[in-house]
Amino acid sequence: MNIKISNLSFKYEKKAKETVLNSINLEIKPGTINVLLGLNGCGKTTLIKLLSGLMKPTEGTIEYDGRNLQTIKIRERAKIFAYVPQQANVTNDIPVRQYLSYGTTNTLAFYEHPGKEEMERVEDVAERLHISCLLDKNLGEISGGELQIVLIACSLIQNTEILLLDEPTSALDMKNQNLVLSILKDVAKEGKTIILSSHNPNHALYLDSNVVLIHDGVICDEGPAKELIKVEKLKPIYGEHVCVSRDLGYDEISFKD
Amino acid sequence: MNEKVLKRRTWISFGISIAVFIVIFALALMLGRYRIAIDDFFKAVFTDDSALDTQRSIIVNLRFPRTIMAAFVGIGLSLSGLLYQETFRNKLVSPDLLGVSTGASVGAALAIVLGLSSVLISVFAFLMGLLTVFVTVMVSKLFRNGSSTILLLSGIIVGGFMSAILSVIKYFSNDITTLASITYWLMGSFESADMTRDYILMGVVAVCIAILLLISHPINLVNQGKAEAQTKGINYNFYRGLIIVLATILTAISVCFCGTISWIGLVIPHIVRLLAGRDAKRTIPLCITFGGTFMILVDILSRTFTDSEIPLSAVTGLLGTVIFVVILIIKRRKLNEHKDI
Repeated sequence: MNIKISNLSFKYEKKAKETVLNSINLEIKPGTINVLLGLNGCGKTTLIKLLSGLMKPTEGTIEYDGRNLQTIKIRERAKIFAYVPQQANVTNDIPVRQYLSYGTTNTLAFYEHPGKEEMERVEDVAERLHISCLLDKNLGEISGGELQIVLIACSLIQNTEILLLDEPTSALDMKNQNLVLSILKDVAKEGKTIILSSHNPNHALYLDSNVVLIHDGVICDEGPAKELIKVEKLKPIYGEHVCVSRDLGYDEISFKD
Repeated sequence: MNEKVLKRRTWISFGISIAVFIVIFALALMLGRYRIAIDDFFKAVFTDDSALDTQRSIIVNLRFPRTIMAAFVGIGLSLSGLLYQETFRNKLVSPDLLGVSTGASVGAALAIVLGLSSVLISVFAFLMGLLTVFVTVMVSKLFRNGSSTILLLSGIIVGGFMSAILSVIKYFSNDITTLASITYWLMGSFESADMTRDYILMGVVAVCIAILLLISHPINLVNQGKAEAQTKGINYNFYRGLIIVLATILTAISVCFCGTISWIGLVIPHIVRLLAGRDAKRTIPLCITFGGTFMILVDILSRTFTDSEIPLSAVTGLLGTVIFVVILIIKRRKLNEHKDI
C-alpha cells in the first residue's frame, strides 16, 4: 500500500518559530527501500516518528492506503508499521527473549501473553539475525550494537508491511552493518516497504534504494540512489570536502581534505 | 536470565508462599494477647465443644476479620506499589506516589476532628484519597506535558500540600484525644476490622486483581514507555490511566480501613522481582501471596508482644528497612556496575 505525505509541516510547539519539517510532499511505493539522508537535526528522525504515528503533524497529512494515519487505531497501526528508534529507552532488567516477545503483541488480544507459536517466531528471527546467544541475557547486559540488532529483530518479529528504522546501523560494526543491510534487502524482496534514515550515503547505494535528501526540514531532492548519490548533489548538504572513490567498482562517497 | 529458570522459580515461590500464607494465617488466629493452644484451636474451629466458646468467639469475631483485613490490605498495597513502580519505571516509588495516602490521611483527620463515626472516617479517607489523586492528575495537565515525570512531580507537589493541610488540622485540633486519635490512625491499625469492612475490601481487591491479571501483558508494555508500547500496538495512555486508577483504588481502599502503612508497597515488589523477574504475569500472583503473608505477619507482631498494639507502620518500618538492606546486598553486584537495580 502507498504512503502519501502531503504538505506536511511540523513544529514541536505550535507557537515555536522554528519549523522542523516544512511542506513535505512525498509518495512512498510499496516494496521499496527508502533512505532519508541529511545532516544532523535536518528532520529525518522527526519524519520517521511522524510516520510511526508517535507524533502528530502540525499541518498536512500522512495517508496510508488513502486513510489518514491519525485515524488508524493504535493496534491496527502496529500491524502496518514497525518502528526502530535511534536510541531505545527500554527497561534494562528484562531478558532479550522477553523483550523480543513484545514484538508479537500486535497479534494478541489484550488478555493474551505470547505463547509457543509466538516464542518460536522470536527464536526464528533471533537466529536469522545471529542473536540466539543473547536471548537469555538481560537487555542491560548486552552492548549498544547488540541492543540495536535486538531492536531491529523486534521490528521484524512484528511482521508488518512497513519498517521504519531510525539510523539502524549507527552503533554497528562493519560485519553487523552488512548483516542488517542484507537482511533489509531480503525483507524488501518479500514485498515489505522500508524507510530508514542514515548518515552513510553508501548504504543507500548498497541497498539500491530510493533516496530522499532532506536539508533544513525541506526535501531538496528525491530519486534513485544511483542518480542522486553524486558529488554535485551532496556537496550543497555535506560540504565541499565530499568526494567519490571508484576503487570498489562503484561510486563510494567519502571525504578528502 | 533463562525464561525456564524464572518460570520454575516463580512456581516454587508461589507454592511455598501459599503454604506459608496458610500457616501464618492459622498462627494469626491462635496468637495474640490471649493465646490459643493448637489443639484448642482445631477443636474450637472444627467442633461444637461449648467449653471452647470463648476461644471460638475470639477466633471468629476478633481474629478472623482482622487477619482477613491484614491479608487483603497487604495484597492491595503490594500490588499498588508494583503497579506504580512498573508504570513510572521507578523502583523507588511507593503506593503513596500520587498523594493517595496523604489525601486519605487528611480525610480521616477531618472526620476525626468532626467527631464522625469510624465508618465515616473510612468513607472520608477513601474519598479524599481518590480526590487527591484526581487533583494530582489535574495539576499535571496544567503543564501540558503527558510525561510520567510530570505526573510524578505533580504527585509530590499535591502530596506536600496535603501534608501541610494535615499539619494544620493537627495543630488546630484542640483537645488531646483528637490529636492522639489522628496520630494513631496515621500509624495504622487493624483494630476496626469487622466482616462488613472485610467484604467491601475483599470485593474491591478481587475485582482489581481480576482486571490486573487480564491486562498483565499490557502492563509489561506500559513499563517499556510510551514509544515502545504504542508502536507495539498498546494504547499507552488508556492502559497507563487504567493502571493508575486501579493502583489508586487499591491503596485508597486499604488505607481507609486501617490508616497509612508504609514500606510494604516498596519492599514486596522488590522481593517478588528478585525471584520472578520483571513480568507482570508472574509478579502479580507473587505480590498477592507475599503481600498477604507479610501483612499478616506484621499484624501478629504488632499485637502479640506488648499489652497495647504496636502501630503497623512501626512494625513494617522495622521489618521493611532490614529487608530492603538485604535486597540491596543481594543486588550489590549490579549496584556496583551502576546498572538498573
